[in-house]
Amino acid sequence: MKNGRYCVAMLATVIAVCGPIKAFAQDLVMSIGSRGYGGMVERNIESFQAANPDITVEWNKVSDVPGDSRKLYVTGLTAKSPTPDVFAIDVIWAGEFAQRGWLYPLSGVIDDAQITAYNPSFLSAATVGDKVYAAPLYLDGTHLFYRKDLLEKYGLAVPMTWEELIAASKTVMEGEGNPQLYGFVSMWAKIEGLFMNWLSFTGGNGASFFDVNGNVAVNSAEAIAATQAMVDILHKHKIAPDSILTMRPDDARTLFQQGRAVFLMVQDFVHAPLSAADSPVAGKFDFTRNPYFEGHADAHSTALGGWLLAVNANSENKEAAAKLVAHFTSFDNQLAAAIDENRAPGRTDVYSAPQMVDASLIRDFGTNYAVGVVRPSAATGSLYPRVSEAMQIEITNALHREKTVEQALNDAAAAVKSILGQ
Amino acid sequence: MAGALTLKTRTAFTGISFVTPTILIIALILIYPIAQSFVLSFGESSIDGFEPYRFVGLKHYSALMGDSRFWNSLGVTFAFTALSIPLELILGIGLALLMNETFKFKGIARLAVLFPWALPTALNTLIWRWMYNSDYGLFNALALQGGLVDRPINFLGDDVLAMGSMVVVAVWKTSSFMALIILAGLQSIPRDLFEAGRMDGMNRWQEFTQITLPLLKGPILVALIIRSMDALRTFELPFNLTDGGPAAATESLSLYAYKVIFDFLDFNFGAAIVVVQFLVIFAMSLIYVFTLRGKD
Amino acid sequence: MIKRPRYGLYTLVALSVVISFFPIVWLILTSFKNTAGIYAWPPQYWPNPFTLENYISIVTNSPELLRYILNSFIVGFGCTVITLLFGGLSAYALSRLHLRFAGVLMVGILAVSMFPPVSLLPSLFQNFLNLGLLNTYLGLILAHSGLFLPFSVWMLASYFATLPVEIEEAARMDGMGFFRIFLTIVLPLSWPGFVATGLIVFIFSWNEFPLALVLMTQNAMRTAPVGISLYPGEYAFPWETISTATVLAIIPVLIITAIFQKQIVGGLTAGAGK
Repeated sequence: MKNGRYCVAMLATVIAVCGPIKAFAQDLVMSIGSRGYGGMVERNIESFQAANPDITVEWNKVSDVPGDSRKLYVTGLTAKSPTPDVFAIDVIWAGEFAQRGWLYPLSGVIDDAQITAYNPSFLSAATVGDKVYAAPLYLDGTHLFYRKDLLEKYGLAVPMTWEELIAASKTVMEGEGNPQLYGFVSMWAKIEGLFMNWLSFTGGNGASFFDVNGNVAVNSAEAIAATQAMVDILHKHKIAPDSILTMRPDDARTLFQQGRAVFLMVQDFVHAPLSAADSPVAGKFDFTRNPYFEGHADAHSTALGGWLLAVNANSENKEAAAKLVAHFTSFDNQLAAAIDENRAPGRTDVYSAPQMVDASLIRDFGTNYAVGVVRPSAATGSLYPRVSEAMQIEITNALHREKTVEQALNDAAAAVKSILGQ
Repeated sequence: MAGALTLKTRTAFTGISFVTPTILIIALILIYPIAQSFVLSFGESSIDGFEPYRFVGLKHYSALMGDSRFWNSLGVTFAFTALSIPLELILGIGLALLMNETFKFKGIARLAVLFPWALPTALNTLIWRWMYNSDYGLFNALALQGGLVDRPINFLGDDVLAMGSMVVVAVWKTSSFMALIILAGLQSIPRDLFEAGRMDGMNRWQEFTQITLPLLKGPILVALIIRSMDALRTFELPFNLTDGGPAAATESLSLYAYKVIFDFLDFNFGAAIVVVQFLVIFAMSLIYVFTLRGKD
Repeated sequence: MIKRPRYGLYTLVALSVVISFFPIVWLILTSFKNTAGIYAWPPQYWPNPFTLENYISIVTNSPELLRYILNSFIVGFGCTVITLLFGGLSAYALSRLHLRFAGVLMVGILAVSMFPPVSLLPSLFQNFLNLGLLNTYLGLILAHSGLFLPFSVWMLASYFATLPVEIEEAARMDGMGFFRIFLTIVLPLSWPGFVATGLIVFIFSWNEFPLALVLMTQNAMRTAPVGISLYPGEYAFPWETISTATVLAIIPVLIITAIFQKQIVGGLTAGAGK
């Protein structure tokens, strides 16, 4: 009897002591691509764990290809899985996921001061109602890469307008007389990137997806003219290869790297491989902002993309998870990401930091991000995938000349309106 | 009398116990999700309870009937199946017969021939996509350097060529699968049947049509059904090779269902597509079974 | 009798080998090229320089690839054992025991395998989550078994059908139990069928992607194809890494195919009719 009571007392003591300790130890699972954020992921996790000894973070590597990780997230989120606690989402998913109740709102959990420092267009993409549901981690944008050696050879200035670019391409192509050298390559396969490309062109002509009253304006006169320019680049001026219609970003990059293109318009990830030691075009290229159309020098034409960090609404450690998000998007860590890993910060205040002199590439990219266009994911929310799909289909129809540009864009406008219930 | 009843009962009992583990596993992995798909296809709501479930009867099915993209994907799927299956079968039988012969380096040859289908589909398709590339792909490089063409062939960018390219990859990969199944079947044919035939003065062609083929009917039927089912559900191939392009010329039913479910997050409409696809495949296999079995 | 040199045969064989193997050869060659060589234009056919840097890079930077290959092995092996055992028993029962519901079951088993696995993902994941089977070998083995049991049942049933009934009937007369008949008579006689089915199921399991992707999310539990799918970047597709990883992942499959193809074709054909 005495032994029994003694055991119970011991047990109770053990439980009393260990219980609270266990309640404090939290395990977070973070899903983010294995390559996308470089070495910053490990560094940030280490510094976070050092600052928060009662929280452990496990890095669950996922594919950087948006489609693959989306498959994973959708499956887990519809099953209300509590993990991952924190995950990286493409900017166009933010509104969608938030509307479905899959994300935990960060307003009020992360400092307001920090939230206001985030990139405004990304923030608006992650805001539903008046709550913010994700924090911008890093951005990328499309740029115009060009062969400066070829432009110098023919005494051409760096083109700022599409008209100049087309003329320059023709001059170089005729001068070189190489049938395998093309003027312009980009990612015009029926992919999300095509929609971004189109937004660059139409934005560069002063068009916008919605007009000032919020109506769908994809078939505005400016949009039609810009789209016609795309069709002409391929079919009339013939400065782009036929295969441009099957190109993904890496295909276009490869062609440029092989020295077979004068101009390349893709996301800025290409800068690294193009300037690698064994690249045939290393040292021969440079970049500038995407062209605009004559008379629209103030137009926005840099198509923006990027990733944000979000907290799973079903997470069992929401507060800790939000802390992790705040840590990754803190001023210091974003600055380190810019300088050490060449990742453009999701916060605007970092760009003007004095240390950014050491990250001139990012700083130059950042200047062009200021004239950026974003996809209408914020305004369309969970209907965005259908809208994007409808646009891709019609833009492809126009590029394949299955419809006239006007017809295609009118059909696109009708389709989008019907999706949005306008 | 009592003994016979017990035998039948005992047989039935044994039979049931043999089959039960299989049924249990299939119930967990296949039947339950399939049932959920059926239920989803008749209602509005997703399984995360985003909205409460509402029964809407055949609404999605009638929407499907009027959906041109659905009919396109159905046509694409049928075209793909009709083109690839006969080729795979013929090549498969040919390869199996070839591998059944005795010759030097038989082991290595067999391995090489059986190997294509051992590659993971996704990676295999990506290799082919790279080789098909019109700017820096292997095929165009060879064709251009060999002077066969003066402009690169747009394998994956032309509507018809894209389907053809896809069929080539499928046939390349699956002929070896067919060959494997048929080879095992060939091995089960007793040698003395061939000897008897040779005694009767049969030539090789007669040997083939009168001895080999009839005895291969079982494995051929199974191979046909399995392959047709796979072809009608093809997903990894178009997804990685062309992503359904150009302009949905290679968008199979499974690919369309995937887009609806994972891109548009419309679980109900997607479930309807999958159910219709299942009915199509089911009808197809019934046709196979009855025609091929009926010939007995 | 003078044996004619079998030119026709050898030509066909050579052609088949070349056609079957050239993409894999291309892949292997690629893994030995450096980046410049991979993207060179005109294309570089033979690696120049012939380099091992990709392999070294993978082994040092991504040693987890070996763990992924091991996982694929475990899952594949487990799945093969289950499908051969349960599938074999079921096939035997349904084709030999004259059960009344045999036809219905055979059709039913086939029918449920006709759904594209991708569409089953969300509900399957939810079930596994609730049952605690996520990120477990048992879970993925069961999932793969569910996918491939129908194939196994049908394949084995078709091989059993080619066996003459007299042997089994004789054994029944002798009073043998069904299970013993299965083990001692049916199994040895249909050995090529079992090996072929087992090899196919192993490779199906090895290559399976959608279910492996969502049911095994922890780094340590991933299978090889899923692991390799982590190498592409959001926009970039590093052929250096991917070709090397693929070659490494194929080697086990190559070995297993080599071992078992001998089994298939070296089967017991003589005396089967006796």
